[in-house]
Amino acid sequence: MIVRREQYFTYLLLGLFSLIALVPVVGILVTAVQAQGGLAAFGEPNGFHLENFADAWREGSFGAYLRSSVIVSVSVVGLSTLLSILAGYAFGMMRFRGEQLLFYLLLLGLMVPLEATIVPLYYDLRDLALTDTYWALILPQVGVSVAFGTFWMRAFFRSVPRSLVEAARLDGSSSWGTLWRVVLPLGKPAVLTMMVLVFMWTWNEFLLALVMVTDEELRTAPLGLAFFQGRNTTDFALLAAGSVIVATPVVVVYVFLQRHFIRGMLTGAVKG
Amino acid sequence: MAGVTFDGVVKRFGAVEAVRELDLAVADGEFMVLVGPSGSGKTTALRMLAGLEAVSDGRILIGEGVVNAISPRDRDIAMVFQDYALYPQMTVRDNLAFGLRRRKAPKEDIERRVARAADALELGELLDRRPRELSGGQQQRVALGRALVRDPQVFLMDEPLSNLDAKLRVQTRGEIKRLQKEIGTTTVYVTHDQVEAMTMGDRIAVMNHGRLEQVGTPEELYERPANLFVAGFIGSPGMSFARAEVERGPDGVTLRGDGVRLPLPGAGAELPPAVMLGVRPEHARAWRDDGELIGPLEGQVAYVEALGRETFLGVDVGEDTRFVVAVEGRAGEQPGDTLRFGLVPAGLRLFDPEGGAALERAAAGSAAR
Repeated sequence: MIVRREQYFTYLLLGLFSLIALVPVVGILVTAVQAQGGLAAFGEPNGFHLENFADAWREGSFGAYLRSSVIVSVSVVGLSTLLSILAGYAFGMMRFRGEQLLFYLLLLGLMVPLEATIVPLYYDLRDLALTDTYWALILPQVGVSVAFGTFWMRAFFRSVPRSLVEAARLDGSSSWGTLWRVVLPLGKPAVLTMMVLVFMWTWNEFLLALVMVTDEELRTAPLGLAFFQGRNTTDFALLAAGSVIVATPVVVVYVFLQRHFIRGMLTGAVKG
Repeated sequence: MAGVTFDGVVKRFGAVEAVRELDLAVADGEFMVLVGPSGSGKTTALRMLAGLEAVSDGRILIGEGVVNAISPRDRDIAMVFQDYALYPQMTVRDNLAFGLRRRKAPKEDIERRVARAADALELGELLDRRPRELSGGQQQRVALGRALVRDPQVFLMDEPLSNLDAKLRVQTRGEIKRLQKEIGTTTVYVTHDQVEAMTMGDRIAVMNHGRLEQVGTPEELYERPANLFVAGFIGSPGMSFARAEVERGPDGVTLRGDGVRLPLPGAGAELPPAVMLGVRPEHARAWRDDGELIGPLEGQVAYVEALGRETFLGVDVGEDTRFVVAVEGRAGEQPGDTLRFGLVPAGLRLFDPEGGAALERAAAGSAAR
């Protein structure tokens, strides 16, 4: 009896939290197909206007912005994945002088918010003549992502049985060979999860793109959403449609990699 | 193939000395077992030989060459790990071939050696499976095979049977021993199980607290333990001990202790004032007054351990002194019964109660007569 009551309570709680998570998503989707010019979001449904997406695409210049987003995100994900794997391997598997100190230094990148460094970062990049280039969007985000990625991959490498690496060493494998042939194939879920997270954060990055680039061609998709917000009025239907366009790639990536993502999140949670 | 020499090898982890001045020579082709309780330094010694731990002091030689500064991959050794350490993403075939591929062996050679190892270990049908699709015993055989295909100078095995069930362990024990004899490769085998050590090793090195206590053949260790630790560690059940004062009278020497009164006719004057008397269960037998036993000793049966072919009785002769008495077949005694028993003189061992060292054989020998 108690078990059943506990079960009901669990479902009730899960249902409640699902509702909290889903309501905004459903709200955006419903608003995205409402008639344009409405004054409030989540209003009473007043039609089904799929043309909102075409209008949002045109007005938000999403063609060019999405291209920029793809260039920046793919570069950041690629570079930071490679660097995180290498740094995580060193911190997770090797013993060297100053290892702890270096690792904590690296963690600073995780702890200091971008808002705190954006102004000096702007001046630094301007001095290097990198503002208004893709590098101004890619390099800072690689820096932030590598801090997280190294932390993440180090945890994975630490979970790999030491005997496996030692067996590879005795079998004649170099450190490099052990990483790519023996250890990393086991870390597919961890690497893919890291890639999804970095992709998501890079794709949704707004502040950096707002500050570092003024060139229309270089702007990323989240900036496009700002066009739908006027000084006095906001077209919520178009804004919602734009939001759906911007969010879709992340959702698609997540759906495709969901299985690995969940497994990656659980890596090390239970003894295998 | 080559022998292995530990020459004054020390391993320190910070202030802790895990291996102390280890001097040990393993002959070419020999099966040497390092045995000892947890924390005795046996695995650390093996890992130093493998190159997986740096040597703090001393030298390790494989053949004639000092290998202290040589990387594990260049030592020409193969190791079987306790958890097998099979590469999970690779098939059995790839696991076996991995080491040869890394060493750029010719393809035909790799195929031939993999096939030979698979044949020797009956892995033929498992070659395309992954480790997770194998039973514990099969995984263990793959781990052995991976070492075998390399045809190294020295095999190292770190408790390779400890994850197997009792029946499979006995079976695999025999297989490893047979394989080692066939190929004749020098093998250093680490275990905490003294039965494994006794049944597998050509010689056994007993370690305790990082120190080498004794090296010898299984028979030597069993019959002539160098000290109390080895005497207690080797043998199952272990040797029974009783502390006794040495009394010298007109009839000779008598050992007198907690519930113990044993005449030792002919014992030498060289015995110290007190000794630790040791006797194995098979040398403690139910009392017969036919002159073959000395005693009698009498005590209360504390436990009865019937193994089928023989029964071990734990008998408390004093407050702190218990002897294990072996009885053939089933014993009629029950816990609480009183038992009279005697000791076979040739089976008595005497130790220094302070340092634990075995007393001169002359003394023990004359005592045993």
